[in-house]
Amino acid sequence: MKNQANPWLTSNLLVLGLGMLPAMLLVGALLYFTAWAFAFSFTDLALVGRKAVEWSWVGFENYERLFTRRGFLESLWTTVIFVFFSAIVGQSVLGFLLAAALRGSASSIRSVVEVCIMLGWLLPDIVAAFLWSATTNQTGLINQLIVVPLGFPPINLINDYALPVVTIANIWKGTAWSYLLFSAALDSISREVVEAAKVDGATPFQRIWLVMLPIIRPHIATNMLFITIWTFTYFPLIFAMTGGGPGTQTQTLAVYLYLQSFSRGNLGYGSAISVAMLVIVGVLSLFYLRLLREPK
Amino acid sequence: MAEVSLRGIRKSYGNLEVVHGVDLDIASGEFVVFVGPSGCGKSTLLRMIAGLEPISGGEISIGGRVVNDVPSPQRGIAMVFQSYALYPHMSVYDNMAFGLKLAKTPKEEVDTRVREAARILQIEDYLDRMPKALSGGQRQRVAIGRAIVRNPQVFLFDEPLSNLDASLRAQTRIEIAKLHETLDATMIYVTHDQVEAMTLADRIVVLNAGRIEQVGTPLELYRNPVNTFVAGFIANQRMNFLDVTLDANRMLTNSPKLRQLIEGRAGVRTIGIRPEHVTLASPERADLTGTLAVIEQFGEYALAYVEIGTGDLMTIKLDGAPDLQLHQPIHMAIPSEALHLFDEAGRALR
Ligand SMILES: Nc1ncnc2c1ncn2[C@@H]1O[C@H](COP(=O)(O)OP(=O)(O)OP(=O)(O)O)[C@@H](O)[C@H]1O
Ligand SMILES: [Mg+2]
Repeated sequence: MKNQANPWLTSNLLVLGLGMLPAMLLVGALLYFTAWAFAFSFTDLALVGRKAVEWSWVGFENYERLFTRRGFLESLWTTVIFVFFSAIVGQSVLGFLLAAALRGSASSIRSVVEVCIMLGWLLPDIVAAFLWSATTNQTGLINQLIVVPLGFPPINLINDYALPVVTIANIWKGTAWSYLLFSAALDSISREVVEAAKVDGATPFQRIWLVMLPIIRPHIATNMLFITIWTFTYFPLIFAMTGGGPGTQTQTLAVYLYLQSFSRGNLGYGSAISVAMLVIVGVLSLFYLRLLREPK
Repeated sequence: MAEVSLRGIRKSYGNLEVVHGVDLDIASGEFVVFVGPSGCGKSTLLRMIAGLEPISGGEISIGGRVVNDVPSPQRGIAMVFQSYALYPHMSVYDNMAFGLKLAKTPKEEVDTRVREAARILQIEDYLDRMPKALSGGQRQRVAIGRAIVRNPQVFLFDEPLSNLDASLRAQTRIEIAKLHETLDATMIYVTHDQVEAMTLADRIVVLNAGRIEQVGTPLELYRNPVNTFVAGFIANQRMNFLDVTLDANRMLTNSPKLRQLIEGRAGVRTIGIRPEHVTLASPERADLTGTLAVIEQFGEYALAYVEIGTGDLMTIKLDGAPDLQLHQPIHMAIPSEALHLFDEAGRALR
């Protein structure tokens, strides 16, 4: 009974083995890299020099450094701010508001807005980073079009307000995902339920807050899960825009990890950072997965 | 309780007008049913009364007050939707209490009213359940309960029974009739099921393509349909329409009685005969003769489809379980008072 669906596959172990090979290779590779990072987080392996070959076990030293040396905790804080404002507040809320606002509007307006936000999403990170740097620097478009004509001295936005600029750039880049997900979620809400709330006397705000949001709560949790993980480990846009600077102002964990591992060459320490990131993201995921569950 | 009146109500979507000027007066406490084929504008009309759809023209008043620009919650209406439209994330109790809570009704009063409605509808045992855990019939009761607690002047129902199976539909239909009796509220009920219309309505409004065809009590519509549309729509078994101008219709003109009737009235184009008014007769007393093409036995009655030479089959309804052979002649008597005559445009001739 059980194997009737595909008797040819299951009756032939060799074919079955071959069929599973890609999946097994993938799982194997994932395990290998994770195990590699985990193992080397207990060593002083370096990228170049003597310790690249003659590394030794150092126990929990790398993990102690996470908390005792400057760098990791600051980067963690920067990352939290970056994730909170660009992903959770920015992309999610903006994406939801756009989806809610465009739900009832004419399809032409909707198409135009959709194309605009999709452009941000589809543009390669490096190109986007270049555009944002060029727009926000001392001689950039914002200064030329707004600041200078208003009679103020030009501001080097990307230097003076690096984290906000990077945050806004990421909102611009990532809102499309949340928008698409929330659009689909809102479309799945029955029109009659919303109308029932209207007849029951709910204001537009109450309809959203008390009826629509609770109904799409699983979608919200899914969205949070995805964008938090992505943003937490997001690297190219920030690195290409600021390289983590000025100073360490935009040094998120991903940038810090890169700098430690490949500029400083501390692969062992870098591995410890990546393991720590893995743990943090894992804990966040568990939290969101709980949200996904039905309330009792 | 309140009367509802519609004056020249129109509705357009863009350039497309779907409701073309509807005038209707509904008395306080009356049970009015809108019937009509799919797409005729029943829901649109109801939704305009509910305030869910802007009105393109005309005037709606409820309880003597023009409500064109009054938002739904203040119109004193409650609506029961086809899909029940329960809030999926709230318990049955909260579903029913939602409107009252929004209106900042004191907690004790909310509780009294919800429990009272639950008692009427016999859903007291489910108050803590989520809608997901209810059957279709139970959900429909909750939806009706949610309407009752609002204590509206006018109840609006949009095909509330169409998602239920046949037996549950019959049962819920009776409950709605009882509810109307108990609450004594004005009710407007949309359906495309003529059985619901006939059994529930004080008055039926037959709609077709955005216009009212006829308004009247169920029996008025059954006895005196003003045109072929209403005649064909209001009945359990569809009325037979015989085209008298067809020359092929020899059978018909061979009948002296029918012929006399037709020739006695100018402009007759169609004769309408309800299946239940036809009886079997001996050959010499027959008004019409044909051959039996199909017979459907229901035990309590049978529907016989008779070939009478017009191309269409004529349906006749016979009591009991008549023993008839296929392809044998059928002799039918038709009382002349049961005939409906219609002119070229399908209007009834009296
Ligand atoms: N939003 C809309 N835009 C354009 N046309 C619409 C819209 N809503 C309804 N219509 C049209 O209005 C007409 C009446 O629709 P309505 O929903 O009132 O029909 P109905 O009588 O309730 O039919 P049913 O029995 O199938 O529910 C239909 O022809 C429909 O195509
Ligand atoms: Mg409808």
